[in-house]
Amino acid sequence: MDLGQLLSGPAYGLQDVTFGYGSRFRDTSDVVLKDLTCSIDSGKILGILGPNGSGKSTLLKILARVLRPRSGMIELFGNPLSRLSQADVARQVALVPQETLQIFPFTLAEMVLMGRFPHHQGYGGWHWEDADDWQIAHQAMEDLDVLHLGARLVTDVSGGERQRAVIARALTQEPQVLLLDEPTAFLDLHHQLDIARILRRLNRERGLTVILVSHDLNLASQYCDQLMLLHLGHIVEVGSPRDVLRPDLLESIYGCQVLVDRHPQSGLPRVSLPV
Amino acid sequence: MKKTLLVKPMAKVPPLTISPSSTASSGWVQSPLPKSLPVSSLPALTIRRWLFCVGGAFLLAVVALIVCLGFGTEPISFSRIWSILVGTILGTESIRVGTDPTTVILLQVRLPRLILAFFVGGSLAMVGVALQALLRNPLADPFIIGISSGAALGAAIALLFGVGISVWTISALPVCAFAGALLALLIMYRISSVGYGFSIYTLLLAGVVLNAIFSAFIMFLTSVADPNRAFGMYAWLMGSLTGPDVSTLGLLAVYLGIGLMVLATQAQSLNLLTLGEETARSLGVEVERVKKLVFIAAALLTGAVVSFSGIIGFVGLIVPHAVRLVLSADHRLLLPAAGFVGGMFLMVADTLARTVLSPSEFPVGVVTALVGGPVFLYLLTTRNIRAGMG
Repeated sequence: MDLGQLLSGPAYGLQDVTFGYGSRFRDTSDVVLKDLTCSIDSGKILGILGPNGSGKSTLLKILARVLRPRSGMIELFGNPLSRLSQADVARQVALVPQETLQIFPFTLAEMVLMGRFPHHQGYGGWHWEDADDWQIAHQAMEDLDVLHLGARLVTDVSGGERQRAVIARALTQEPQVLLLDEPTAFLDLHHQLDIARILRRLNRERGLTVILVSHDLNLASQYCDQLMLLHLGHIVEVGSPRDVLRPDLLESIYGCQVLVDRHPQSGLPRVSLPV
Repeated sequence: MKKTLLVKPMAKVPPLTISPSSTASSGWVQSPLPKSLPVSSLPALTIRRWLFCVGGAFLLAVVALIVCLGFGTEPISFSRIWSILVGTILGTESIRVGTDPTTVILLQVRLPRLILAFFVGGSLAMVGVALQALLRNPLADPFIIGISSGAALGAAIALLFGVGISVWTISALPVCAFAGALLALLIMYRISSVGYGFSIYTLLLAGVVLNAIFSAFIMFLTSVADPNRAFGMYAWLMGSLTGPDVSTLGLLAVYLGIGLMVLATQAQSLNLLTLGEETARSLGVEVERVKKLVFIAAALLTGAVVSFSGIIGFVGLIVPHAVRLVLSADHRLLLPAAGFVGGMFLMVADTLARTVLSPSEFPVGVVTALVGGPVFLYLLTTRNIRAGMG
């Protein structure tokens, strides 16, 4: 697909999307997302915010087609998500999950190379990575500062190192959309900043659409073009950080007092808790 | 703690360059690679390494076969083995009336038995590898989680209710064992997919209980059966590799060939499944299809193996673990390498079982349990497994 064409239309279109975890054992009382309708611009960084249990992570998994909605329609770059194969989706959309548990001794490089899987179909899943695959993985690992850890086992590195390797794996998929669930949760300040800057660069220079779920309102405020505030499975507000991070709105959703002032450098909203 | 003392240079965000011709189909263009770190330095599996390891494992298996052929009540020298084997392959030596008894022992007793051991050990190891990836649990083994006893129940029903006595002898037994193994796998999978917090201990407990239930059925069947037949059943259940003929081996090879082909094609999908089903799906794996294929292949292999050799435990546990530690966790290498190593392991174990107390012998399952049991207990205490308890 042409980059310009991708940038013009929305990345996702959602129409009345409803999702619940239970199946036949439960009724509709377990619904996590209710009749979500929205459009997600391509080429932007969107932050999805909301209290615990508001359905943020679930929405992300639905966008990655890891979970299927109970009803409703989702379009990815104009194509119905339900008609695409898992690999079709994985070539366009990469998901960075909240945490990665690995009990088998794969090296970090092996795990990053797994990102090439959706690009090799047609041999029943068996394939060898070629020189291009290695180069793409190499570059992604360099971008995420994990190249020197390539030979270490996934089970032996720290949570932050693993998280960066998982982002490198996602970039190795060469996606047009990157979905991240709490990308900075396990990272120290230095690497939080690194990840945020890398995401912004990928967005600005390569037109990558970034959708991230975060509890870190300030990081979202500084780095996201748009914010979406979810509460109890509904979209409460969508807009720029200035529109969404309003003290009255946050107080009504989070149920506690918050102070909102301006970031000294960027002038964007800065959220803090009262003493 | 050494890690925290390392002074790592501050990571600079590397420049992400994009060339003007960025409308390439992929949407991105990679910046040129630094010369200091060639791409081939990524520590991951290459075809060269794969060929080297699989070829090495194959050669080792051949050596193990030749060495094991020499042991027995009557030792045979290596030069003699060599000349008989080469002669047979070239067609200059064959068995007829008046052939040297050594040749008969070698070609009609020891060789088929060792080949059966190789098939059985290799298959059990590969089923272990596949189940461990699918259940994301390094302690999964067809014996421990009750798949083997499911197959044994199926085979026992076939034997005792006379299905096996008909003309069908050859085909009905493995089919019933396959059905039993599949039933056990489905129960196990149903248990493992209930709830998100499924832990290693739940799996083990469920396996113990499943084993107990199937064993109870088998004991019931043997107690109502005619004593002569029951004795044969017991001997078979303990695991035995005695007396295969060429047609048995051929039939087993067909079953195993199908199962192994299916597993082999899913190797890369198994790699991704170790990351968890949701992550595998997000990377493009059709998880449900892969699971179905692997379950059917695992049941087919376990059913075939159990119906020909009874229950032999722990091969599917220790061999994958050892190969993973020494070679790689990548299933493209792990599956074939574990197959060869598992085959070798059972050839050696069976040679021990028939030579230690020669001329009498004990079940090969005794050897595998004596080696495998302690390894299992050790694994249960290691860090990575406790970390994966969920």
